[in-house]
Amino acid sequence: MRGTLNDQSLIYLQIARMLEDDILRGVYREEEQVPSTNELARGYNINPATAAKGINLLVTDGILYKRRGIGMFVSKGAGETVRQKRKAAFYDGYVKPLVKEGTSLALTGEELLAMIQQAIGEEKKK
Amino acid sequence: MNAGILSAQNLCKSYKDKEVLHNLDLTIEPGKIYGLIGRNGAGKTTLLGILTAQNTKNSGEVTYNGQPVWENQTALNDICFSRELQPTLFSGPNNLKIKHYLKSAAIYYPNWDQAYAGRLLEEFKLEKKKKISQLSKGQMSMVTILIALASRAPITILDEPAAGLDVVMRERFYQLLLEDFAQTNRTFIVSTHIIEEAASVFERVIILDEGRILENTETEELIAQFRYVSGREDVVDRVCNGLKVLSTHQMGRHKTVAVRGDVVKLESAQEADVDIAPMNLQNVFVSLCGHGDAQ
Repeated sequence: MRGTLNDQSLIYLQIARMLEDDILRGVYREEEQVPSTNELARGYNINPATAAKGINLLVTDGILYKRRGIGMFVSKGAGETVRQKRKAAFYDGYVKPLVKEGTSLALTGEELLAMIQQAIGEEKKK
Repeated sequence: MNAGILSAQNLCKSYKDKEVLHNLDLTIEPGKIYGLIGRNGAGKTTLLGILTAQNTKNSGEVTYNGQPVWENQTALNDICFSRELQPTLFSGPNNLKIKHYLKSAAIYYPNWDQAYAGRLLEEFKLEKKKKISQLSKGQMSMVTILIALASRAPITILDEPAAGLDVVMRERFYQLLLEDFAQTNRTFIVSTHIIEEAASVFERVIILDEGRILENTETEELIAQFRYVSGREDVVDRVCNGLKVLSTHQMGRHKTVAVRGDVVKLESAQEADVDIAPMNLQNVFVSLCGHGDAQ
């Protein structure tokens, strides 16, 4: 677990997002245990009910599952599930704001596409 | 430790001819940390005093597990209200020592945890023999925190525990509170003016404004209902149609409004050419209780 909380979005969403990030980064691998509600509460000075809400969100999405009496574990294929979930949100969260900002700057569609092509090229060189 | 339900119905309280609590209803469910926030003079301490039968009421009822709390020792055994200490007592300085407070707390609270009190005394570096009148504001807060935590009362109420504490100590206090809560799952009610750093600790927040309960809501659920919307006047007005506008700020044609509405409606506002920013609990509080005082 890494990262810190900010006040930009609801805390339970931040907790869920941080756990997802850590699953993508391989901090927590499939079938490994993630921190408990109380550990998260202590680590971030937040109410355990809020931490539980974040964890439950990931359970609903099939990213974590509960082993009775032991704790929460990373589901099989959780990384792929997170990726699919984020891809679904990518259009609304990134593409639409990009086009909106471009439009308010009076960029044409061709100019926008050219910039995206350029960025893809730069990313490949890395 | 099983806390019961603490509840107030139709509570009214006046000091002379000034009514400070108006027909107030409140239910405190067991096993949650409540934050109580309100402006100066909103009636917070009066309310807490009445909930714990330390202050009288004019009408209405306060019950714990269905039984009236007034002069009810069984109920009061379960309730700890750790009041703010005062440097003066009656007309002179408060010459009672810390150890006197600890001794009477040990007698009064049946679940008193002496070992826990000892550990906190050491951690806070408090000297038992010191008089209350010799303590700093922060040290007085530490004594009230110590008594509240060590009381192990199923319902524990702290009035302004953060007052006078430095930022490190405030963080430590919330840590201690959460550690205790994880172990005991008892009910806490904490009043504070330093809202933002406590917001993440409160499962529910009670907003008291001019003697009325404006909100008793899950903290994040409440915050999610509020946004700032800003942009060109006419676009902002169009977007905010159907949302409750709480405050408006205008500079030329640029307009910023604080709005409240259902989450779906707020999300759809994102489509328009306006900037939408989330609020934190402090922003929500100012929007609801500012009454135009803040500029």
